[in-house]
Formats: sequence, C-alpha cells, structure tokens
Amino acid sequence: MKKILASLCTIFLFSNIVTSAKAEINFLIGTWAEEPLTPFVEAFEKETGIEVNIQTFPFRDLLATIEVRGNAQADDVDVIFVDAPLVPSYAVRGMIGPMDQYFADTSVNAIFAPAGIAAASWNGEMYAPPLNNSGQLTYYNKDLLAKAGCAEPSMIEAERVTWEEIVDCAKKITDEANGIHGFIFDQISRYYQLQALPESAGGGSGVCEGGLSVKGCLTNDGWMKAGQFYYDIHNTSNISPKGVGPDQTHELFGLGKIGIFVGGSWNNGRWADTDLNYGVALHPYFEGGKVVTGCNSWHIGVWNYSKQKDDAAKLVRYLTASPEVAIHYVEEHNSLPAHNSAILHVAEDPKFNNFPGIVMNLATYESANHCATRGRTPGFLEFEEIVNTSFEDIRNGGDPASVLADAESRIESSMRRYK
Amino acid sequence: MNFFKRQWMVPYLFLAPALIGTIAFKLYPIFIGFWESLIYTSFSGGAEKRIFVWFENYQYLFDDKIFWKSLEITAFLTIIINPLQIAMSLGLALLLMRKSKFIRIIRSLYLLPIGIALPIATIIWGLMLDPNQGLINGLIGVFGIPPQPFLVSENQALWCIIAIATWKGVAFWMLFLLAGLEDIPKQYYEAAEIDGATPFQKFRYVTIPQLKRTILFVFVADTAANFVLMVPMIILTKGGPLQSTNVLIYEGYRSGFYYQDWGRSLSIITILTVITLIVIGLQLLFLSEKNEGIKVK
Repeated sequence: MKKILASLCTIFLFSNIVTSAKAEINFLIGTWAEEPLTPFVEAFEKETGIEVNIQTFPFRDLLATIEVRGNAQADDVDVIFVDAPLVPSYAVRGMIGPMDQYFADTSVNAIFAPAGIAAASWNGEMYAPPLNNSGQLTYYNKDLLAKAGCAEPSMIEAERVTWEEIVDCAKKITDEANGIHGFIFDQISRYYQLQALPESAGGGSGVCEGGLSVKGCLTNDGWMKAGQFYYDIHNTSNISPKGVGPDQTHELFGLGKIGIFVGGSWNNGRWADTDLNYGVALHPYFEGGKVVTGCNSWHIGVWNYSKQKDDAAKLVRYLTASPEVAIHYVEEHNSLPAHNSAILHVAEDPKFNNFPGIVMNLATYESANHCATRGRTPGFLEFEEIVNTSFEDIRNGGDPASVLADAESRIESSMRRYK
Repeated sequence: MNFFKRQWMVPYLFLAPALIGTIAFKLYPIFIGFWESLIYTSFSGGAEKRIFVWFENYQYLFDDKIFWKSLEITAFLTIIINPLQIAMSLGLALLLMRKSKFIRIIRSLYLLPIGIALPIATIIWGLMLDPNQGLINGLIGVFGIPPQPFLVSENQALWCIIAIATWKGVAFWMLFLLAGLEDIPKQYYEAAEIDGATPFQKFRYVTIPQLKRTILFVFVADTAANFVLMVPMIILTKGGPLQSTNVLIYEGYRSGFYYQDWGRSLSIITILTVITLIVIGLQLLFLSEKNEGIKVK
C-alpha cells in the first residue's frame, strides 16, 4: 500500500513539474478580437509550445482592467491590447516596455506603414506594434436619399460631400413620427470619430503642442463650431436620434431607419445579409475647412511587469508582423491593415475596386491621406473620457460653450500629474 | 489548557473571528484608503513618483466644482431615496400583513425583484426607459402623454435611477419590516381595539413604537446601501446627462478607474465614508430607544 502511495505521489509531483515547465502567457484582449485572433493564437501555440491564455473584456472594461492590473504591478499579465492613443500613457507609466530589441533582426519600416509605427512609438521607441488600422467613410441608404430627392454623396475627391450638404439632406429624410432619422454617427459621442469635426473646422485635436496641456485648445473656434454642430443635429434640427448607443447605430442603419451613416470600414460586412440598398462615399468635411478622418486602431504590447517578456514578445511579433493575420483581418472583418503586405493586397486585388469591396480601398485612401491622429498626450485616458462625456452632454442638450469650458478646466487639472 | 481556564478570555475568543474579519476587511482598507488619499502620484519627467502631500488632494477637491455638484446630487439622492424606500417598504409590509387566501402568492410576487441581480435589473429598466423604442414610452403614449427622454434628460435621469433602485430595494427592506410586524404581540392590538382605537391610532401608538428598532436598522442599512449606489450610473448614465447622476461614489470610482487619479479618488471615498458615518450616527442618535420621540400611551 505504501509503495502504491509513494508511486502515486511521485507521478503527481512529476506531472506537476512537467506542467510547470510548459510556458503559459496571459493575453488581455477586447471581446471583438477573440474570433479573429483565436485561430492564429492556436497556430502560435502549436508552433512555439507556448500556451496562451486569452482573457477577453468589453472595451471599457478592458481599459479599466489594464489600469487596475498596472496599478497593482501585477505579473499575471503578459500581453495586452493597446488602443493607439494610449501608447504614450502606458509607456510613460511604465506599463508596457519598448519592443525595438524584439524586431532588431528586421526593419519595422518594411513591415508596418509609417502611420502605424508613429502611433506605436513614444520618444523614438516602438512600444506596441499595430495590429490594424481604421478609416471612416460615409454610408447612405439609396432608397431614403432618392425619396428625399437628395443627390448621392460621391467617391471622388473633387466632389467630396460637406457636413452642410449632409445636414440639408438629412433634414429632408428625417421623419421622427416613423422613427426615421437623416443622419447618425457610428461611434456616437466618442472622440475617436468626432475629432474629425473640430479638426475640419480648424480646431485641432484638442491637445496643445507638447501634449501636456489643453488650455485654449478645447475651447477655440474650431471646437466651438464642432460642439455647436453636434448640439444642433441632436437638439435643433433633430436629424440624429438621442438615447442610442454606439452599439446600436449600425443596426439602425441596417434596418433602414437612418439616411446617412458615417462610420468605420468594419461596418461593411455587417449589412451583407440584409436587403439594405446602400452606397458608400468619402468622409464629409466642413465647407472651406480641412478634410480629416479618424484613423489608427489597436496595437499589442508586452506587459512590463511580465516575468515572461521574451515569450510575450514572440506572440506580439507573431500576431502583428504576420501578413496572414493582417490579410485575414481585411478579408474577414473589413479592418484596415497596418501591415504593408495587407495594404498591398488591398491595392492589388481587383475585388476591392468594386462595391462593396471598394469600401476597403476608400478607407485606405482616407486613412493614408486625411488621417487625424488622436491627441498625443500621456494623459490621453483622462482626456478621452472627459471629452467623450462632454460630447454626450452636448448631445443631451448641454450648452456647447460651457460644457467644453468645463471639460478644458477638468482635463487641465488632471494633466498636472504629467507636467 | 490553562488558557481555557481563564474564563475572561472566552468571549474574546468567540469574538476573534468576527473582529479579525472586521479589522482585515473593513478597518484596514479604510485606513489604507485614507493613507493613499494623502499621496499624490506624479508622472512628471516620465517616471512615476509618489509624493506625500498631506491634505493637498482634499484642497484640490474643495476647489473643484465637479466635486461640489457631486456632493449636492448625493445629498439630494439621500434625502429623497431613503425616506421613500422606507415608507414604501413599510406600506407594502403592512399590506402584506393582511389576511388573504392568496397572501403567500402575493408575497412571493413582491419578493421577485430581490431575485434579480441589480445589473440585470438595471439593463432591463434601461431597455424599458429607452426614449426611442422603450416600453414605458409606449405605455404612456396610450394615455396621450408624449414620449419622455428619461435617462437622457438632465431633469429626469436621477428620478429614473431613484425609481429603479426603489423597485429593486423596497422588497428587500420590506422583508425586515414584515418580520418586525410579525413579532408584535397580537394582544397589543386587541387591547387597543378594546380601548376603541382607530386603525390610524393603532398604527401610530402600537405599530410604530413596536417597530422602531427594526425601522432604525432598516434606515441605517438602507442609507449606507444608497450612499454606495452606482450600478445604474455605471450601466446607464455614466454620471450624466450634464453630471445630473454623478453621485460621489461614482465620481470616486471614475477618478480612480477612468482617470487613474487615485489620490483624488480616495479623497472622495474618504469624505464619503465620513459623511456616511455622520449621517448614520445622527440616525442612531435621534432614532435610538434612549432618545425616544414617540411614547407609547
């Protein structure tokens, strides 16, 4: 009996030793990325023998979890999803480490587009290589536009639609009694998308030069014009509905309840199974203003408190530098690539010259030529949260001038920590 | 063995697990929270520095109008929601004390909200209060009332949250009051009836005095619970519109988890803890047996 027990104990101990010898890394990602990434993570596991434990979170929870784990300097995280504008914030606070050494044997310029490298870097070092990019376009319901007698917006640069034209047409489409609205933003009240408004009106990103102040940069004429525009479409002309969240906007458009929808390229696949008769055009701009669209997307970084940085870096490189992953994102998820091979793929494959594939081509054009990088500041997390809340307050009837003044003072106060 | 012979130690021994738990999970976090509220984290020059700044975080807070607005909303919420929930719980408990063939079924129906987690209840209410496609606007439309903005209105959002929290909380607090009512000896009511007391007089001179300890417990526990109510704010309003639902606990949560300003966050939480203790202290002072305002005649 004793011998049997001793043998069992030995087997148990030995199996534990074997198990613990196998490397295991924890990867925090957004819920939306689980489906696209899982096959590649499995391939990585097979290839390297490193086990990857994927932990998924919705957008806000992901950011909050990263903050909580960072504050605790937790070593049970190895790789994280990084929203492009948060690279400086995470880098300054030592939450992610520089990646250059892990790409020393190659040229990052040969792998990624310059905008992706710029978004991934802080103080001349690359911290989080880009997984993909993004671009914004104008989608429109052909039937609603025809019924209202509006001309369809164009894909040609010289005929790019203006915000003023969008509002005029949307007023004709809006029929509140039947739940039809003329216009909606994809990501309502989110800085990522709405930054294009003040940028087009000459107001800049909202963050002042140097990235440590917003004084006068959030209350200038361009931002005031953008704030007033956002107020008017929800409270004066009522062409956009209130009380609708960013997760519902594409559904409303898909149901034929919205005339014009300004949103990301990834929406294209969402209406493939509907009867929606829609078209796509370039992103709007203010008449006489600058042409600007939202861009950049998700990056991946190595957690600075990880005890397995080398293994973590292998995964980061595998997912970001592989052309297969980037092309898969393009083909299956309509996500704009940051990888040069995938950009070339979009440029060369003829299916991207015709509708609906042309969405990828147009979005690539917008991102490459009119990209407004989000405000570069180590205090981006606070900045974005306060700006998002302010846009939502304006949407709900707040006076744009006082809401933006409040936001500026609040952000300025939170920036003192970085000065 | 000698240890157990020292009888004076026995009560402490029994109390020890609870005391250790209280110290570890209540007092120690409060102390840590207070200590961290005196620390300012700077990232100046690209490196994290923790600086002990005494009460500077509080000073910043007192100069911040967001904090004062948040305090005002918390005070308003507390003044409205606690008496409302207690009155409704008591009313329901009294109704459910009545004899009826279906009383068990009716009681079970009223207890249903307890079985639904607050986040789920909040999501359901959020769908019902949707200004565009919500059930409530559909229902009031039948009576010719125009659609209401509810959670996207500066003037209605806090009231909606009060309604949701009350719907969820009333049944829970009612349970305690129901137990308290069951405990009141029937002879008291019989004696009052023989003396010719009206139903109101029986309620005023028998029910309320006999239920006073239960009411005190419910009042204190309900107040403490509502001071930390923030699930509907997290899920539905994010403190808006225009900060109309931005209560202190949510502002503290947001400062820490969204803005990473832990000094500010923990200063707010410390102030909220002090306010809670003061309010509960006053409730105990004015409602406890020693300071009885209502005499049984």
